Amino acid sequence: MAFEENDVALDADQQMTADEEALLDELGIFGESRRKFLGQLGGVGLGALVLQVLAEEKALAFSDSETAYVAPAVENPVTVSFTVNGAKKSLELDSRMTLLDALRERLGLTGSKKGCDHGQCGACTVIIDGRRVLACLTLTAQCEAKSVTTIEGIAKGTDLHAIQTAFIKHDAFQCGFCTPGQICSAVALMQEAKNGEASYLTANVRQKTGALQLSDDEIRERMSGNLCRCGAYPNIVAAIREAHTGKATDPMAISQMEVHDATV
Amino acid sequence: MASDTKVIGEAISRIDGLLKVTGAANYGMDWPIRNVAYAFIVKSTIAAGTITDIDTAAAEKSPGVIAVITHKNATKVVAYDPMRGIGILQDNKINFYGQNVAVLVAETFEQARAAARSIKVSYQNADSKTDFEKCVAEAVRPANRNDAVRGDFDAAFNAAEHKVDATYSTPIEHHHPMEPHSAIAVWEGDNLTLYSATQVVGGVQRGVATAFGLKPEQVHIISPHVGGGFGSKGGAWTNVILAAMAAKVVNRPVKLAVTRQNMFNSVGLRQQNRQHLRVAATAEGKLSALGHDTTQFTTTTNEFAESCGILATMMYEVPNSRVGYKSAAMNVIAPTFQRGPGESTGSFALESAIDEMAYALKMDPVEFRIKNEPPKDLSNNKPWSSRATVECLKRGAEMIGWKNRKPEPRQNRNGDNLVGYGVASGSYPSRQSPTSTLLKLARKGDDVTASVELAASDIGTGAHTIIAQTAAETLGLPMSKVAVKIGDSALPPAAGSVGSIGAASFCNSVADACNQAKTELQAKTDRKWLIAPTVAQLMDAASLNEYQTRVDAKAPADAAKYSSHAFNANFSEVWVNELTGMVRVHRHVAVTGAGRIMNAKTARSQVIGGCVWGIGMALTEESIMDPRWGNFITRSFADYHIPANLDVGTIDVAFIPEEDQFVNKLGIKGIGEVGIVGVAAAIANAVFNATGKRVRDLPITPDKLL
Amino acid sequence: MRPFKFTQAADAGSAVQAVSFNAGAKFIAGGSNLLDLMKEGVENPTELVDITRLNLTQIKSAGGGVSIGALAKNTDTANHPLIRQDYPLLTQAILAGASAQIRNMATNGGNLLQRTRCSYFYDVAMQCNKREPGTGCAAIGGINRNHAIFGASDKCIAVNPSDMSVALAALDAVVKVRGADGKERSIPFTDFHRLPGDAPEKDNNLQHGELITSIELPKSNFASHSYYLKVRDRASYAFALVSVAAALELSGGKIKQARIAMGGVAHKPWRATEAEKVLIGKAATEENFKAAADAAMKSAKPLEYNKFKIELGKRAIVLALRRATGKA
Repeated sequence: MAFEENDVALDADQQMTADEEALLDELGIFGESRRKFLGQLGGVGLGALVLQVLAEEKALAFSDSETAYVAPAVENPVTVSFTVNGAKKSLELDSRMTLLDALRERLGLTGSKKGCDHGQCGACTVIIDGRRVLACLTLTAQCEAKSVTTIEGIAKGTDLHAIQTAFIKHDAFQCGFCTPGQICSAVALMQEAKNGEASYLTANVRQKTGALQLSDDEIRERMSGNLCRCGAYPNIVAAIREAHTGKATDPMAISQMEVHDATV
Repeated sequence: MASDTKVIGEAISRIDGLLKVTGAANYGMDWPIRNVAYAFIVKSTIAAGTITDIDTAAAEKSPGVIAVITHKNATKVVAYDPMRGIGILQDNKINFYGQNVAVLVAETFEQARAAARSIKVSYQNADSKTDFEKCVAEAVRPANRNDAVRGDFDAAFNAAEHKVDATYSTPIEHHHPMEPHSAIAVWEGDNLTLYSATQVVGGVQRGVATAFGLKPEQVHIISPHVGGGFGSKGGAWTNVILAAMAAKVVNRPVKLAVTRQNMFNSVGLRQQNRQHLRVAATAEGKLSALGHDTTQFTTTTNEFAESCGILATMMYEVPNSRVGYKSAAMNVIAPTFQRGPGESTGSFALESAIDEMAYALKMDPVEFRIKNEPPKDLSNNKPWSSRATVECLKRGAEMIGWKNRKPEPRQNRNGDNLVGYGVASGSYPSRQSPTSTLLKLARKGDDVTASVELAASDIGTGAHTIIAQTAAETLGLPMSKVAVKIGDSALPPAAGSVGSIGAASFCNSVADACNQAKTELQAKTDRKWLIAPTVAQLMDAASLNEYQTRVDAKAPADAAKYSSHAFNANFSEVWVNELTGMVRVHRHVAVTGAGRIMNAKTARSQVIGGCVWGIGMALTEESIMDPRWGNFITRSFADYHIPANLDVGTIDVAFIPEEDQFVNKLGIKGIGEVGIVGVAAAIANAVFNATGKRVRDLPITPDKLL
Repeated sequence: MRPFKFTQAADAGSAVQAVSFNAGAKFIAGGSNLLDLMKEGVENPTELVDITRLNLTQIKSAGGGVSIGALAKNTDTANHPLIRQDYPLLTQAILAGASAQIRNMATNGGNLLQRTRCSYFYDVAMQCNKREPGTGCAAIGGINRNHAIFGASDKCIAVNPSDMSVALAALDAVVKVRGADGKERSIPFTDFHRLPGDAPEKDNNLQHGELITSIELPKSNFASHSYYLKVRDRASYAFALVSVAAALELSGGKIKQARIAMGGVAHKPWRATEAEKVLIGKAATEENFKAAADAAMKSAKPLEYNKFKIELGKRAIVLALRRATGKA
């Protein structure tokens, strides 16, 4: 974790109000993990807002969404059993229903976003069986026995993924709407780099490689399937670079002038 | 603990960051509303005329369909907005291609979308105005838009020794926030709740209330997170009205999102501009005349003009100038505000022309600009509240390595690439708009928590965070003790996140509320203090465990005596593949003087975003209408190219420290709009420096550099 | 998207049977183009036969060349050691297309069957002979910047969007398909896709129900000297204005074999055989590259808005050849 400076963290139990403590209790975040949870964000970065909004949104979330759901009659129902964020799910749904709509409308997992619904923006990126794909162009009917990870399943409990903490630190989003897709994409990208997979910018694809250290341009090319209209790209690259290399960098630094000379 | 509370200006991570990186932030379509039905909009396939018949029989029989709403059976609503409100199914008239003609409501999204295809509409075509080239011939000066005249432009231009006379074109551009416009509408009796992301909470509330004949308080807008706006989410477009109408008709909650394809003709656009620039200067490099004539289009039902010429009236010391506009009505969705409305497109023309003039004079473009720096705002003779153009230019030149620039084009190479440097300056006005804040304080012993409540919006600007910073520092509390509630019309009314007024309006109001609370608490006790008391001490002295106060803040009266703007300079280093004509922004530097910067991290990000927008404007973005029918042929993200990650090189951002005592109490100027101003010009100027080709019509796609 | 029956195919035989017996049925594999078109209302199948679980994913050496399973994913194909080592042109071409996410979904067979990106084809409100035969072509008198300069007809001026196919055309691949009768047939790659002629609704020469099973790459001597160049309006995640697959076999300072194929210029991946003829037997010099580029574009017939493709095509060929020979 490239987040040493935040290990100063706040002493969570001393600085929080009773309401905040009650909320963290409710969320099941205790002791060491509570300290870590807050520490990851940097003490000052965690306003009561977060806690408050989390509580409100949690209260509204329909955790019983599947069981409470009465499926309207559809013409070509299919039954699909698959795993979502580690939990087994079985749904009967319209054969036309995309994975994106099933996640959002049937499973209450609204982190994956519908930015274009046509595979042209990347906001719906999820990870299926280890590979990043677009949920908007995936039929749920084709997901039988597959394992799907969405943004809601990227953190392990209260441990944010290194990409998530780096996104916060480097301010790798503004409006945040493309962010779930960016993060799923980046998490998968790190594995692709470990696998030594090539990109269009790879100078010599014939050269055998092990795990890759990606240049900034390689990160840019490999993340180009995720559009960001706010224009957070430089910060997205900085965040991924930090998680990918394990080397902490100053989010406010004037550029280190890495050579940017993609052959295009 | 003082150091914990000195947080204004610090590079603090967003307080809403955790929600955004975990997928927990709720945007318009993310709210878990039970028993929801799904709506889908059908669009017109003519640009002008009338609907003669709509055959909905097949759609009504289509599985799952609950209702089909057309002008024949639509709920009667009031025309509420001549810009955003065209297409609310009140009559059979068609004003532009892609106007709403029907709404389907079904049990599922799949059913609604499928049934929409079975609706058959018959039209009577009328003559349509869909060809910009033909329409501009009939362009006229818009009402209430006189030329801005100084001195005698014609005489000075005609007599000048050195002249540039050139026309610059910018295409239609679309906002395309990543979150398409949407609403979930829920009626309870005559009260309507709309979960709908917006830049202007009160604006949507008023628009919807007017349309349905309700009191504003009967319409509740919930919008804590906004997936981008850039001007298009500035008010209630028809999709919100139709969602509410559909929910009323089917008597249950309705979800309605605009498809990406329909974002092209549902929520405004930036119109095409043709700008004629005439610049004259002396051999010594002093500007003597400046003419800026803009021709653009508007929709047939509303007059909207982007002020492309505004910078020409105030950026330079030029004794003779004339700035004017012409506009042609076209059958196209209404043009509306888009990031840097006027200044961004206008600066492309003005700053390109200034660059052309510098080349004509064989002067360094940075020096040329500094030489023509105006001592005051010549458009209104007011003093600047502060102006950092020269510092921005000097600092930017240093950061980009301007000394590496070769004055002659095509002298700088790297492999297949021609390398070039370009500069442009720019500005955007600073304003504070009325905003109310409710501050609630709660105390347990020495521990005080604050809740700051106002109907502000956060469209990715970082409003949540800077509001918390302002309250924390003003109250002397750590940020973790401050809760921020925004994005809800039930809260005190606030300015919108538009026109770079957000930060100044929100933060001054919040600071006023915090200061007022301290003053009021002090008045409740006779206690005298040797050392300034904490809020906890004040509340203790007043024997209060809870206290709340509200302010209705507005701009300081004296602010109008000054001309207040944020100023910037953009520097771009581009690499142009000599053979393919593909341009990449290798490095870009943006230096801004914007008064007090509330959060160094989010401010930097916002300026970077402006640069990326400028890259899109310069290189990739163009909405193309087929003049035969008025439809957009670039109706997807595969055709309308917003920049991708690889399009964007290194971007360096710096702010000139500036304490502006006049603009508003906190000295905040705003940065969202100014961030895009000048970017496209800096890139186009760099492309000229690289290639010797002056591209005057954006975007600079490969074909234009062959 | 209209309702459709979803059928999971257990094996190639039953998949072919299922589609063959239903004129409204289609195979679905990655779905990255088909679902897009179904949402637009351009494709309206009544049945989708899911073939993703068929055993057609192997990539293996075969007859001196390599056989690529039709259902191997684009990503896996591009990164397979046999392809990276012996057919780097194909790796580059696949990786030039779409995005990482889409390449993870798209199969090789599906990539070959991508439909045009002509925006008039995509918009069901527009006339289009490809989508609805006999309705006319809105692109011919419209905004045709992205359209064909070779082999177009008065019925259709659309271009094929696949990058992968351009490399396969250059490499003289062969497409193996299986029909309703259970028999396999082989189609040379350059005969796989069609020119529009009078039947632009047919993108290729497959019969309804025929299933692509594999793509066969013959032994290649081009691995050391090839390059796929893609020129586009955006640096990444955009379709080609013009693309060039260039492959040379050099021997004793001379060009022994040359392959040039182009994308973004025709209804099918366009082999520039005239350019290849110019190069064979000559030295790999800039001058000869330019002569080849001129020859390649000689028969081009531009439309109102795509005249630039002639000059851009020439330059792209020169640059691709330079890079193929390590001269840039």
